[in-house]
Amino acid sequence: MDETVAEFIKRTILKIPISEMMTVLKAWNFLPENQLQTINFRQRKESVIQHLLLLCEEKCASINDAALLDIVCTQVHRHKKIWDVFRMSKEPGDDVDLFDMNQFKSSFKKVLQRALKNVTVSFRETEENEVWIRVAWGTHYTKPQQYKPTYVVYYPQTPYVFTSSRLTRNITLLGQALTIASKHHEIVKMDLRSRYLDSLKAIAFQQYNQVFEIHNSTLPLQERRLALDSRIIHENRVEKERVQRITQESFGDYPQPQLEFAQYKLETKFKSDVNGGILAERKEPLRCLIKFSSPHLLDALKSLAPAGIADAPLSPLLTCIPKKKMNYFKIRDK
Amino acid sequence: MDSYDAPELTLRQSAFSRPEGICATPLQKRLESVRKQTSSVPTPPRRRIPQCPQVQEDVDPQKVAFLLHKQWTLYSLTPLYKFSYTNLKEYSRLLSAFIVAEKQKGLAVEVGEDLNIKVIFSILLGVKGTQRDPEAFLIQSHSSSPRLEYSGMSLDLLGSGDPSASAFQVAGTTDACHHAWLILSKSQFPSENREGKVLWTGWFCCVFGDNLLETVLEDFTCLPLFLANGSESNTAIIRTWFQKTFDCYFSPLAINAFNLSWMAAMWTACKMDHYVAATEFLWSVPCNPQSLNISYAIHPEDAKALWDSVHKTPGEVTQEEVDLFMDCLGSHFHRHFKIHLSATRLVCVSTSVASAHTDGKIKILCHKYLIGVLAYLTELAIFQIE
Repeated sequence: MDETVAEFIKRTILKIPISEMMTVLKAWNFLPENQLQTINFRQRKESVIQHLLLLCEEKCASINDAALLDIVCTQVHRHKKIWDVFRMSKEPGDDVDLFDMNQFKSSFKKVLQRALKNVTVSFRETEENEVWIRVAWGTHYTKPQQYKPTYVVYYPQTPYVFTSSRLTRNITLLGQALTIASKHHEIVKMDLRSRYLDSLKAIAFQQYNQVFEIHNSTLPLQERRLALDSRIIHENRVEKERVQRITQESFGDYPQPQLEFAQYKLETKFKSDVNGGILAERKEPLRCLIKFSSPHLLDALKSLAPAGIADAPLSPLLTCIPKKKMNYFKIRDK
Repeated sequence: MDSYDAPELTLRQSAFSRPEGICATPLQKRLESVRKQTSSVPTPPRRRIPQCPQVQEDVDPQKVAFLLHKQWTLYSLTPLYKFSYTNLKEYSRLLSAFIVAEKQKGLAVEVGEDLNIKVIFSILLGVKGTQRDPEAFLIQSHSSSPRLEYSGMSLDLLGSGDPSASAFQVAGTTDACHHAWLILSKSQFPSENREGKVLWTGWFCCVFGDNLLETVLEDFTCLPLFLANGSESNTAIIRTWFQKTFDCYFSPLAINAFNLSWMAAMWTACKMDHYVAATEFLWSVPCNPQSLNISYAIHPEDAKALWDSVHKTPGEVTQEEVDLFMDCLGSHFHRHFKIHLSATRLVCVSTSVASAHTDGKIKILCHKYLIGVLAYLTELAIFQIE
């Protein structure tokens, strides 16, 4: 086993907490079950790693095996990376081809290797009908840099691709490889970005609102009314219920997909009815950059109107985030 | 200079005639005036002259440079009893010994490492508002060279054999402040000539503190503003020493949203040749269960244009103008997002001049307006003391 491979495996295993190690190693499926049973996970981490390295040495682990281990680790800790979303599109006249996984893989690899000669490309398919691709980039003259790879998650039969956004130089090449291999025509970056890959999936495939439709309709209106504070008197109750109803309509009853931020780049003129005359003569817009950040952004936005901090209905700029599949916006005056 | 000082003095005195920080309702104002037995006409809105860069002759930009671009934690300080500017060396010695003693109180591991903390007091020239203000002074705490081979004991205790790995030494690197008392201690190693890393810096100053100076007695030195950069434990130790030696009292200076909005308005009003940063506000929204933060950054030229359109009285900044400025920002935001910023809490304000956080943290970015920023902070500190 190569020194670099040993070092790479060591560093990858080092990042895994001991509690998860067994699951990761089983998923990796490189070392057989009986050998894994012999490892004592209660000792110090360095000893566990030494033992594992010995086992890998015996089985002559290659760089591809190490890369697969890296993919498994990333799959377990996918929220540690920030994911970008791309959408591919076909030409209007194109046929809908049957997707052939092997053809896709070989075509993808070929494109990258032809361009850069030194790349490590690894694939891993999962049960959720997704294929994880790991690319370690090198050039014609340098070996691939294994510690700064790019991860791509592709769903065959859909035009969506998710990449971990460390890309700088090779993004066009990656886009080319994906479009050619999947027989699409072009690829476009969407203004959607988050750590939570599952939420991005839900937004991209518009699946977030399909949860438990039946459950909601059985809840009668009276019960929902009781959810309001009993101290609220009648006059305010009507208004509160109106706000609740409008919030339900814009956000729905289902759990919201999880995003951490939304960013708006505003270039709109300043207009104010109350403070008339301020900046009236100024033709240029106010250039603002507004960023909303929260551990669970859409939940927080949903709670603003009922709390009285925002008007109901909430601004369409905020409620359209899952529908438009964007969380980066550029707003200009019409 | 005197003609500049005088109107400002009277204005400030009237400013302190009613409690700061209260956006008084008409009822409250009337109650106040009744209590003071003045007429029932509401008191005029606070006026404040924006900082001008003219009191800067003594300040050498280079010396001031290390005060900038660092985050300082603010404290207000009651007057120091029997503090003398001539005993700086003595104070250096005493404070070094005190720090060393405090550090040795705890674990045995620290023995042998911290014996060479140097504390140096020095005067910062020029960081003051008027001639009446006392000189500011700077305290810096340096570590000695990390090579502590002379003390075999320390190597054994640490076990890893690396005496330089001490939490104390990785504390912040700050330079001496000009205007604060700079405390530096000298190493006892005969071979060591280098000073070692700066671990902690703090400075005391008073800028335009005339209100307080008038009420203070002979033996007291009035330096109400204390800024510290470095680890919290060091700050606590140095505070304890000062409290014991000079019978004073530190309290953390928090900046409420009202003052943050004043700062934003005043700093936006400053004329700058070039802007290094956007004017940025950070609001924290109290929603349940998730927290939400809104960051609202405006291009500095647009912010200045908005301010110029709001600003009517030359040479002064009034309460109404500040309110109108913040209101305009809020309504522009509301037009797009339908969220009322007035229902949220302003937490942080950042401009090309300086940036301030509600927890009492400040970072000054522009040396031209250093005195102006300090003047406002001194006023807040004095208000807190009273």
